[in-house]
Amino acid sequence: MRTLLDRLFAATGYLAGLFLIGTLLAVLASIFGRIIPAIDLPGADAYAGYCTAAAAFLALAPTLRRGEHIRVTLLLNHLPKAAHHALDIFCHVVALFMSGALAWFSIRLVMQSREFVDISTGLDATPLWIPQLGMAIGTSLFTLAFLMDLVLLLAGKQLREASPEGEPARIE
Amino acid sequence: MDLTITALLIATLFVILGSGVWIGLSLAGVAWIGMELFTSRPVGDSMAVTIWGSASSWTLTALPLFIWMGEILFRTKLSEDMFKGLAPWLDKLPGRLLHTNIIGCTIFAAVSGSSAATCATIGKMTLPELKRRGYPDSIAIGTLAGAGTLGLLIPPSIIMIVYGVTANVSIAQLFIAGVFPGLLLASLFMAYTIVWALIHPEQIPPADQNMSFLEKLNASRNLIPVVSLIAAVLGSIYTGLATATEAAGLGVVGAMVIAAIQGELSWKNFRDSLLGATRLYCMIALILAGAAFLTLAMGYIGLPRHLAEWIGSLNLSPFALILALMAFFIILGCFLDGISIVVLTMGILLPTVEKAGLDLIWFGIFVVLVVEMAQVTPPVGFNLFVLQGMTKKEITWLARHSMPMFFLMVAAVMLIYFFPGIITWLPQQMAG
Repeated sequence: MRTLLDRLFAATGYLAGLFLIGTLLAVLASIFGRIIPAIDLPGADAYAGYCTAAAAFLALAPTLRRGEHIRVTLLLNHLPKAAHHALDIFCHVVALFMSGALAWFSIRLVMQSREFVDISTGLDATPLWIPQLGMAIGTSLFTLAFLMDLVLLLAGKQLREASPEGEPARIE
Repeated sequence: MDLTITALLIATLFVILGSGVWIGLSLAGVAWIGMELFTSRPVGDSMAVTIWGSASSWTLTALPLFIWMGEILFRTKLSEDMFKGLAPWLDKLPGRLLHTNIIGCTIFAAVSGSSAATCATIGKMTLPELKRRGYPDSIAIGTLAGAGTLGLLIPPSIIMIVYGVTANVSIAQLFIAGVFPGLLLASLFMAYTIVWALIHPEQIPPADQNMSFLEKLNASRNLIPVVSLIAAVLGSIYTGLATATEAAGLGVVGAMVIAAIQGELSWKNFRDSLLGATRLYCMIALILAGAAFLTLAMGYIGLPRHLAEWIGSLNLSPFALILALMAFFIILGCFLDGISIVVLTMGILLPTVEKAGLDLIWFGIFVVLVVEMAQVTPPVGFNLFVLQGMTKKEITWLARHSMPMFFLMVAAVMLIYFFPGIITWLPQQMAG
């Protein structure tokens, strides 16, 4: 189960990367569209925005799995083991609630945009529920990742390898 | 009554943040409580719409692209080249390669509109290099935290655009007005580094080697790729060919070209830079999302507005007003990001500012400088967040070592108050 979920999160990480490439392509399209009007892509800037949003939301869960989301760990790191464990569980419960709320209302936003045929006001005239899907899926997986971490914590398992102190992040 | 609830909310924010809940989610959680208490609007739907709107905006697309550009450059030999090119010239200066942090940020700030992106991009290049050469973490990270804020002051600057629109001031003039204050602040940072190095000579690693002038000049050839990339990105902005986001897109392509020429554009490097950039951006985006929702909630609660009105009612002298506003922005900067501060308070503060006879261009630069301070003040300081993500150090440790840079920014505010020509001279040349 754990490896299956980890594979799912890794896959969404790659998908987020693809959307960052999409951002780049949309931005390049807006530059070259101005120079060569024949290949102009109307609303390229809006597409860049959608891709950026999708990249950010889809990367939420993989970034959490790698322990790269920021939190204030001053108190956590100075607590004895049992208290640390209890407080960490509290943090995960709060995070599960907030990410769950975000996921729930993101899904609602998609459904409302679909129901009321909400169209982008930009030149792209995209039905907004399509790009908003990225937010709904990303935040749902984020909630799932918190749930998985909480279950692991309650079972007394280690969440991830602790990164060496003082190492700049992600020098892979 | 409202004041009590507001104070309780602020206390709640500290408790949730302090307990170790992820920062973006803490901000969103407190915003949620605040909106439940102060409005009858559907909270969850407002949250989703606000976060969607802020996450999908065009201006924000510059951030992941500049981060990606930095991640690509980080995986090339460019950082090594930059040090080879700059080191021979800086080795004679007390503080030696620490100045690459400041000079690097100053140069990159001319390509980036964001303090966090400047900090992330230059830090990706300088921090591992400085660590490898044995420079102390404290001063290396401290100078970076301070110098990274130059991203806001040296054009292009997203926050100047926000201010220009809100205050109805020419954005081109604001940009030009930021040039000298930016160089002034960079000089202050370098002067501080020199003084620090003279006091702690034992902590600075020895010079790499002694070179003749011609050898140094030859080593500077290593700077050509960096300089041409910067010239391409800068040039496209200053000639009006591209917006900041488009320049960022060109920057990513330029960085890939440099990597390809150096033979470093392997599939592994490309994939790692892409995924690394996505995650670093995601981490910042979660905070931005929480901050966007908190900003909305704060608007309903009216906390920034009430504070602004109260300061306006005191009838202070211009100097006292500037000091009071600086204190106010610094306190607000502990909780909110710079753009939110500007958006939330400018409408209320502008009449007060105009009545006090302050020039609006001057005031814009003042606000940007004070917002720079907010970037390095905990618990909500974006440069601290970026640096925490990069170094895994405690926010408090980072804040302590950024403190000297904070005070240098206060000094810069004093300088622009007593010598306003630093700001106003260059835009006047432009107008004439």
